[in-house]
Amino acid sequence: MNTNLKISNVTKIYPGCVANNNVSLEFNSGKIYALLGENGAGKSTLVKILSGVIIPDEGEIYLNENNLKLNSPSDAKKNDIGMVFQHFNLFETLSVFENLIIDSDEQRESLREKIDTIMKKYNFSIDLDIPVLNLSAGQKQKVEIIRCLIRSPKVLIMDEPTSVLTEQETSELFLSLKKFSEEGILIIYITHKLKEVMQLCDEVAVMRRGKLVSVSEIKNENIESLANKMVGQNLKTIKKKKAKTSSDQLIKITNLNFTSEDPFETNLMDINFSVNRGECLGIAGISGNGQSELFQVLSGEIISEKNSIEFNKNYIGDLNPQERREYLMAFSPEDRLEQAAIPQMKIFENVALNNFKSSNFFNNGLINENKIKEHSKKIISDFNVNTENIELKSQFLSGGNLQKLIIGRELITSPDLLICFNPTWGLDVGAINYIHETLIKINEQNKSIILISTDTDELLKLSDKISVIHKGKLSKIMNAEEVTSEKLGILMGGAN
Amino acid sequence: MIKIVKRDQPSRAIFFFTPVLAIFLTLVAGGLIFFILGFKPFEALKFFFIVPIADKYGFSELLLKATPLCLIAIGLSFCFKSNNWNIGAEGQLTFGAIVSGGVALLFYEQEGFYILPIVILAGAIGGMLYASIPAILKTYFNTNEILVSLMLVYVSKLILDYLVVGPWSNPEGFNFPETRQFSDSAKLPLLFEGLRIHAGIFLALAAVVISWFVFYKTYLGFQMKVSGFSLKTAKYAGYKGKKMIILVFLISGACAGLAGVGEITGPIGQLHREISPDYGFTAIIVAFLGRLHPVGIIFASLVVAITYLGAETAQIFMQIPKYTGQVFQGMILFFLLASDYLLFFKFKFIGSKK
Repeated sequence: MNTNLKISNVTKIYPGCVANNNVSLEFNSGKIYALLGENGAGKSTLVKILSGVIIPDEGEIYLNENNLKLNSPSDAKKNDIGMVFQHFNLFETLSVFENLIIDSDEQRESLREKIDTIMKKYNFSIDLDIPVLNLSAGQKQKVEIIRCLIRSPKVLIMDEPTSVLTEQETSELFLSLKKFSEEGILIIYITHKLKEVMQLCDEVAVMRRGKLVSVSEIKNENIESLANKMVGQNLKTIKKKKAKTSSDQLIKITNLNFTSEDPFETNLMDINFSVNRGECLGIAGISGNGQSELFQVLSGEIISEKNSIEFNKNYIGDLNPQERREYLMAFSPEDRLEQAAIPQMKIFENVALNNFKSSNFFNNGLINENKIKEHSKKIISDFNVNTENIELKSQFLSGGNLQKLIIGRELITSPDLLICFNPTWGLDVGAINYIHETLIKINEQNKSIILISTDTDELLKLSDKISVIHKGKLSKIMNAEEVTSEKLGILMGGAN
Repeated sequence: MIKIVKRDQPSRAIFFFTPVLAIFLTLVAGGLIFFILGFKPFEALKFFFIVPIADKYGFSELLLKATPLCLIAIGLSFCFKSNNWNIGAEGQLTFGAIVSGGVALLFYEQEGFYILPIVILAGAIGGMLYASIPAILKTYFNTNEILVSLMLVYVSKLILDYLVVGPWSNPEGFNFPETRQFSDSAKLPLLFEGLRIHAGIFLALAAVVISWFVFYKTYLGFQMKVSGFSLKTAKYAGYKGKKMIILVFLISGACAGLAGVGEITGPIGQLHREISPDYGFTAIIVAFLGRLHPVGIIFASLVVAITYLGAETAQIFMQIPKYTGQVFQGMILFFLLASDYLLFFKFKFIGSKK
């Protein structure tokens, strides 16, 4: 049976931003549709409207010519629209089966039978009786998909499903999605990853700043054309020159271990690596494999044994972040809004978070506001932060501008080593390009970078050497030229 | 139709308006309660809020009650601003009073200008010592400071009880649970003949000025602000978290201890069982009503002090139980928290414009 989903003139306005501006789209079953756009382009708002989470200010939605009134997620379910969110909505401590039965009205026995049939049909193998916390990200996603399939949906919406998956899990997911599509389920795939669109989809709708920019067939597009549509300008491609090989060792980590008391953290086991001057060491991995702990150990938020970290011929394992900054290290954490900066504070106050002795931000315990402001103005102009008002609260900066401010703040000391964790996470393409250029420039000045990132493309673009972290252990360090994303994917999944 | 919409950013005007709104709503609700109890609401409110401060004596009493509230609330704002939840100021007040009272009793038949400063210092140290217990337990053993500081309140009250009944009770006091009267050298001087307002008010004003300076002009104040917003950021910036926790508790304890000194060396002049009508707890309301801002705390302490006086007047003239005062304090906090909703949301009238 054919399914036809029509979005007609949908508008959703938030204070200060038009999230969806008169968007009209039509989907037909049998095809896989990509909804492509940068962060903030309005694609999430649109799918939330389709799944009943958000009610649009104007516009209608029709499923097979029936006008749908979606006032809540349960309305969407009743109308056979299934949705798999980017972040899983599963109870970690309950078993897979318990998670599935929660929002189902079926009897235990018949539900179990139904799930078994679904799993057999699509070649899923998941133990229904183990707690969800023992599953890999890919398996958890399958549980979410099964949850939708139980209701035999007509429409299945996937919101950035591959952000937590390995390459292998991604290709498995694509196979399943193609199979669903053949069986007549209409699939809408939301992403900002161009490669995936090319691999998987039949048609692509591009959104930019709340508006629908284009709808086209994939066969008429290529990665560059889509990127330009998404960003709205022609992007220059950045390439890193091969670094001059240097044997001047800057930082050396020896037998570093970290055992956490928190069961939700990952223990680090026997970490060993070194980085030379002018080099970028990339650390790949699926999120949650110890990256956050590794960053904290390197920044000094977690203190380790003195001798485990040697920096510029000093042992600094027992120093806190402020003391490490005096040795010319700099840190850019993953969480911009809760750690690297305080949104409720003004820009210049956020600059004062990186307090090093020669800055004179604080003299004899008093705040030297003039000095801080002077410094902030320099950062804003040197790093292209799009504002002139340093009294502005930083919550009013876009993610990209905030990240520029943070990186600028960290680099103003001209550190020998910058450690950054997912520096471009959630940024738009323009800001990503800027950050990448900045990082390359650092290397060119013979300064070093440790780049912990979950974005494989970014790592391959910027790193000289790459290692993979899996369950708190580092793989051997490889030269970036010898590495492919497939190989990284295998290591990220834990195989050798 | 009225629709509730989230604000883009918390409104600064509303930030200072909500305490006023809270006080107004408290008056309305209070009037309603009086009405239900069978009193004339306006008359009752008049006895509660206007009669007590209508004369010179009343005004002096207002300042007398506001002084400890303001002092303690200033101290607490150091803790609250930096994400430390000291709710045991009442205990720190009591222990400060015990230590300073003990010192004052040592000098009970001596006179000298040096006695009062020693007594005051002893009170501050007593408060600090007592506040250091939850602080040290929190930093080194990860205990919850809310529980520890609260429970220590009752410990200090029992210690005081024991002392005034036992070892420190007045030998000529016919077994009343109280100590000797302190010598005049150990008492805070009165400011005006015939009024009870004493020099302790200068301690409170000094605390206001110093705290303003620390909050807005010093590195410590900056670190407190950062820690108050995000402990993760404070850690990332490399602030010495443990040191700061202990420091803010000590400051807070010193302020509460000083408030205790003010009570026993001011209007009371000796130690006995009831040295504080829960100033230490009420000051929590004062700190939040004053938005943790030194100037705000001055106004808040005056407003809340009226509830103490009003409760007494209302009891005398209208036979309304004096615990009504606590009802009013509770209502102020309740309405303040409720009207904080307006900080983040606003009402939008739909239909007027699109």
